[in-house]
Amino acid sequence: MTPARNDIVITGLAAISAAGVGTASLHDAIKRAESLLQPIPEDILGESGHFWGKAAAFRAADFMPPLKARKFDRCSLFAVVAAGMALKDAAIAPGSLDAARIGIVLGCGLGGLANAEEFLRGYFTAGSEGLVPMLFPNIVPNASASNASIEHGLKGPNVTVIQRFCSAESAFLMAKRFLEEDRADVILTGGVDEVFPAMLKSFKAMGQLRSFGSGFGEGAGLLVLEKRGHALHRNARILARVGGVRTIGRFFHEAYQAGVDRLLPEPFSAELVSLSGTAALDHSLLDRLPATSRLDSGRILGRSLAMGGLAMASLVLMLKPAETGLHLASSPEGPYYAIDLYGGDPVQS
Amino acid sequence: MDSIKGKRIAITGLGIFSAAGKDVPAFTRALLAGESAIGPVDLFDVAPFPSGIGAQVRCFDPLAYFSRRDAGKLSRVDQFGIIAAGEALRDSGVTQHHCPYDIGVSMGAGASGMLQSEQWLKQSLAGRRGSPSLLRGVLPDRTATTIAQRYDLCGYQGSITTACSSSASSIGWGADLVATGRLKAVLCGGSDCLSLLTFSGFNSLKVVDPAPCSPFSLGRQGISLGEGAAFMVMEDEGEARRRGAAIHGYILGYGVAGEAYHMTAPDPTGGEAARVMRQALERAAIPAEAVGWVNAHGTGTPLNDMVESKAMKLVFGDRAPLVPLVSTKGLTGHCLGAAGAVEAMATVLSLKQGIIPQTLNFRGADPDCDLDYCHRGARSSDATLALSNSFAFGGNTTCLVLEKG
Repeated sequence: MTPARNDIVITGLAAISAAGVGTASLHDAIKRAESLLQPIPEDILGESGHFWGKAAAFRAADFMPPLKARKFDRCSLFAVVAAGMALKDAAIAPGSLDAARIGIVLGCGLGGLANAEEFLRGYFTAGSEGLVPMLFPNIVPNASASNASIEHGLKGPNVTVIQRFCSAESAFLMAKRFLEEDRADVILTGGVDEVFPAMLKSFKAMGQLRSFGSGFGEGAGLLVLEKRGHALHRNARILARVGGVRTIGRFFHEAYQAGVDRLLPEPFSAELVSLSGTAALDHSLLDRLPATSRLDSGRILGRSLAMGGLAMASLVLMLKPAETGLHLASSPEGPYYAIDLYGGDPVQS
Repeated sequence: MDSIKGKRIAITGLGIFSAAGKDVPAFTRALLAGESAIGPVDLFDVAPFPSGIGAQVRCFDPLAYFSRRDAGKLSRVDQFGIIAAGEALRDSGVTQHHCPYDIGVSMGAGASGMLQSEQWLKQSLAGRRGSPSLLRGVLPDRTATTIAQRYDLCGYQGSITTACSSSASSIGWGADLVATGRLKAVLCGGSDCLSLLTFSGFNSLKVVDPAPCSPFSLGRQGISLGEGAAFMVMEDEGEARRRGAAIHGYILGYGVAGEAYHMTAPDPTGGEAARVMRQALERAAIPAEAVGWVNAHGTGTPLNDMVESKAMKLVFGDRAPLVPLVSTKGLTGHCLGAAGAVEAMATVLSLKQGIIPQTLNFRGADPDCDLDYCHRGARSSDATLALSNSFAFGGNTTCLVLEKG
């Protein structure tokens, strides 16, 4: 299909993950396909045998003064730094575009919870004297996107979305729609998440450490979505073109196959599929893609609710020009997403 | 490109469960009578805090709505959400007319199951083993998943978490999902409940009024927290009429933006708040002159109310004193993640009833808030269009354009 000016394209990426900081380290890790998960220190859970994908190489001090870094929670640090990297990757200099035409729509699963736990811990251990007001503003899940918008002056649509393991994909759908509706010219989207001890303890309490709570990772995977006409006008490099975004909320037990058909209408083909959330376990979907090469970034970097941002960034990095890619994400209780991406920009290249 | 402008999005179902009324008829009566639901809070110990009041849902027995087994599995927020969503879906009758894959749920969330999860943390810190079920609702997306499961809404499930603007955005986004043709109907709204986290947090920031909140009044000291859930069913007007659905109102458009100013303070000029209101009007293709009144974010904090009044002047110019700016938070409390939906509901019902609701708890005129706030009582109105503002922590702003059905 010939790309149109009002198509949505991807003009920038950013990644912070267990692989390191930047898209080059992510690209290398995905190509090597070796797990980067590390053992969770035994003192956190009181037992060994569990793994996580901490973004251990990330140091906020490499990007901002320590005093400034102190006002952010870890998710916000990821988002602020990754947003700057994504804008730079898309060659969008600060102040070069109308701020009201650049938005941020971010998936964030666990953001704010670490601050909430610390805030409440202060109260439960020392009463109202133990409350630290400075922690409170960053208990909200939108702290990451909002702090990024404040730091980078993004005044367009600003929304934070969560839905199980498909939080980043939910954000992606919304970002695409906002561009199609002409609410903005550029939107940063993707996902950001962190892993922290209290979260792991709660997974353990719920008996999830050996099921869906295992192998969690953290970091940020951001994509710069842009109207193709806008990107061409400013001579931006186009990394990929966005095709259809299909979703269902959950499977209806009496019409399971109809749900599969909505996600992957037959005949369906893609050369490379990236899997996120629990998609690697969804054989009813994968059976429709028997000959497609698979890319499971969650196994390499760790999974989380919004790690689909890193999975989508990985897919874009691995797609060759004009190659057809599919990003498939799912959660045990829904939702499910299938997102078509095409490498490069055939007309431009 | 498809646009909300190309389709009229009708509201065909309403449901609410709040301190001001546990269903639409009861909430409507409270709205008309101007009965504040703010009073003492006893969900947890409030003695350590300067303010011990809020709009708590009283006399709530989950077993009146759920089996013992289900009640034990559901957080307070999930329970509120399921009850309000059920009322809205029954009101619309939409599930009888469309395939489950054509109906979705778009909701705004806030503290969610924190009320239960903080008990687990307290027990854990005391060296006791808390019940894992207390943690079930800790993530804000739980309620949407629960509602989708309960009512077989299989087309979409998504939760917006932009603090106090969450559920207003979820309504706008739900309308978008219908406008694109992606779905035939979307259940949109929000659910949130009081929790120690938010109660202690806002108290620690010294933004909670020790008396019931008095938006736009002289001497106001801040918010009164509240809880509840409100949902609406959105459909394309043509489809709704074809199936003979009653239409309560319309969403004509919405604005959504980021102020990019400060994490907890609004842009003091009102320019950013005005921008999202203008954007909403542009998206709805409605001139400012057509707006009858505005349901304010109207928290009752000194700065927010002053800034929102400035924004009104920027949007409506000389006509600003003639466009009532009312806050229903004196009635419902500030329901955080559910606030936008509760206030959109109040707006739709007020338009339907032909009134402009009262801003409760007037303490005296503030020279910095010099517009018409309907402080003296609800009044009858032939307005057919109103805006509903929601401004959140982080500078997340949303404005809905709502029309009488």
